[in-house]
Amino acid sequence: MTLMAAVDASVKVAGLQDLTIHRSVSSIPFAGRYRLIDFALSNLVNADINSVGIFASQPFGSLIDHIGVGKSWDLDRRKEGLFFLPTTHQNGGIATVGSFRDFEEHLQFFEKSRQTHVVVTSSFVAGQLDYKEMLAHHLASGKDITEAVGASGSLKSYILSRRLMLELIRSYREKRILSVEDLVNLKKAPYSYGVYEYKGYFAIIDSIQQYFKESLGLLDENNRRLLFLPQAPIYTKVKDEPPTRYLDGSNVSNSMMANGSTILGNVKNSIISRAVTIGINASLDSCIIMQKCTIEENCELAYVIADKDVYIEKGVKLIGTADRPIVLRKGERVTKEDSQ
Amino acid sequence: MNEKVVAMLLAGGQGSRLKSLTYDIAKPAIPYGGKYRIIDFPLSNCTNSGISTVGVLTQYQPHALHRYIGLGTPWDLDRHQGGVTMLPPYAEIDGIKWYAGTASAIYQNINFLTSCEPDYVVILSGDHIYKMDYEKLVEYHKEKQADVTVSVLEVPWEEASRFGIVNTDEDMNIVEFDEKPEKPKSNLASMGVYVFDWEKLERYLEEDNNIEESTHDFGKDILPKMLKDQQKMVAYPFKGYWKDVGTVDSLWEANMDLLDPSAGLVLHDPAWRIYSSNPQLPPQVITKTGRVQGSMVNEGCVISGTVKHSVIFQNVLVEKEAVVEDSVVMSGTKIGQGAHLSRVIVPPDVTVPENYRLLEPAAGITLLTQDLIDSGKESGQQ
Repeated sequence: MTLMAAVDASVKVAGLQDLTIHRSVSSIPFAGRYRLIDFALSNLVNADINSVGIFASQPFGSLIDHIGVGKSWDLDRRKEGLFFLPTTHQNGGIATVGSFRDFEEHLQFFEKSRQTHVVVTSSFVAGQLDYKEMLAHHLASGKDITEAVGASGSLKSYILSRRLMLELIRSYREKRILSVEDLVNLKKAPYSYGVYEYKGYFAIIDSIQQYFKESLGLLDENNRRLLFLPQAPIYTKVKDEPPTRYLDGSNVSNSMMANGSTILGNVKNSIISRAVTIGINASLDSCIIMQKCTIEENCELAYVIADKDVYIEKGVKLIGTADRPIVLRKGERVTKEDSQ
Repeated sequence: MNEKVVAMLLAGGQGSRLKSLTYDIAKPAIPYGGKYRIIDFPLSNCTNSGISTVGVLTQYQPHALHRYIGLGTPWDLDRHQGGVTMLPPYAEIDGIKWYAGTASAIYQNINFLTSCEPDYVVILSGDHIYKMDYEKLVEYHKEKQADVTVSVLEVPWEEASRFGIVNTDEDMNIVEFDEKPEKPKSNLASMGVYVFDWEKLERYLEEDNNIEESTHDFGKDILPKMLKDQQKMVAYPFKGYWKDVGTVDSLWEANMDLLDPSAGLVLHDPAWRIYSSNPQLPPQVITKTGRVQGSMVNEGCVISGTVKHSVIFQNVLVEKEAVVEDSVVMSGTKIGQGAHLSRVIVPPDVTVPENYRLLEPAAGITLLTQDLIDSGKESGQQ
């Protein structure tokens, strides 16, 4: 029994608008150097699944730029490999994972495959789902559809046979179901539904609050150990950033730091992405700073999420709360006057 | 460049003064700067200079280097036309031809060069750390209508006698080569970077091959012969950081130079990236007890101790209460709780035990190998 995968990168997640103006949920930066979809893709390729379709709706420029031909995941194959399958949905698809309408638009992807079973997965969950184990569980259970469920809910990943998938794509309209998630939630007859218990770490990113909480949750060594397994690496598009520089006078503690940054100021309890500059006497506490941001000297930031290319001029003070972090949109420039 | 430029990168060096660091890898494959290997510098210079045909000549312990360079993907050298070609010595009907000298290494790959149909050939060394635009060098060579151009660097006068010194007239025409002169007449040192007109190079390589007493070396044989024959040879004055790392001390110095902005080697430069093979590792973590000052740290590290003025490669663990200062720690090394390291280079994958310290620190830099630690001679429990 062998697996192919359909990754839903078009699902609409209402709570993340500030981070999805220019990108889909699947390409939101996470954990310093990754995009959310990296976790789904890495889990798939770590289970030797090398026929992967990414169903994406506009805006997907950022996602295409990130995925390319799939080289970082070894999905640049002569046979099968990565299929980028755009859907005609605008501004995000439907709110549940595994839209049959999207699948119908690319029916051939399923029809032509030589694999027996299909993984349907979302692209806003970070975890270490072992699809080989899940498939074995699915086969042993004899159920039609298996859902992966962890301690705090569904991972929105499903396994079903390719034959059943084709049947559902042809009949979803008359059955009045929208998606695989929808079907599993409604438990429509005549199918049987099983659960695969997932015991590892996972983070569902479906709101700014969740994004903030789960990002900083990675500062807990226990979470990190479960997400970053040496035997199951999380792959991402590589950048050629040099190691991060910590200059004399900087002070960094309890923080996760990607490469290419230059740190002169103070950083604690924060996640700093690639190629960020933090100026002298700037103080960051509980912040998530994405790629290529600049924080000038004497800034004071707490509970701030700064999207890519944000420029914060010197002396700016921005203090959010854990429940309501301040979100700075991509490319925003903040001056001292703005923040007063 | 309309004319075709091919780079030949000499990467066969053993680097025996680097001790066990080059026991099983060639000198150009030595780790440097927290994530790089030395050969990343000339390879990236080629990429950034628009040279897309590169031959890499290997001989000593070539496996790590061949695997590392692979198809040349990190340097955009995986091309249908040109790209990178690995050139180890090979056997012919009349025997295996080892590379006796720098010139013989090129001569034995003359078929490769002929098939590339170059106009100019740039000869490079795989074990120098520097950023250089070879396009400008070739432009200079063309402007000067030279047969060969030698890239030179001003070195401090007191060090000039350690280098191959180039004496020039006021128009930068080379009039004399002085190999490690006792009384140098100039402080322009040859960097081992040459541009040749292909026709001239081909002719002189053929001639040199037939001279029995030749050592088949560019510096000692080919260039002096061309000078004698009154070929036009000019010096190209290179300005910038350049380092030949031949010893443990100089490898340490070159790493420390990265921590000193006045040293002149900036890696945080999007306009002149140094490309390297990127391992897929999570970001580095500085924990609640960790403290990092004046240092460079790569991905995958977890720092719970103190790191001062050091270069830390990927996947290094520095446990609580451990102190690392003025040191270079290579990938995968674990530094136990309470250990104290100063002025050392730790090779990859070493386990430094808890509370370890050097009893009698050497005057220079200590290469802290697992063997040295396990022998117990240098360690003391406190």
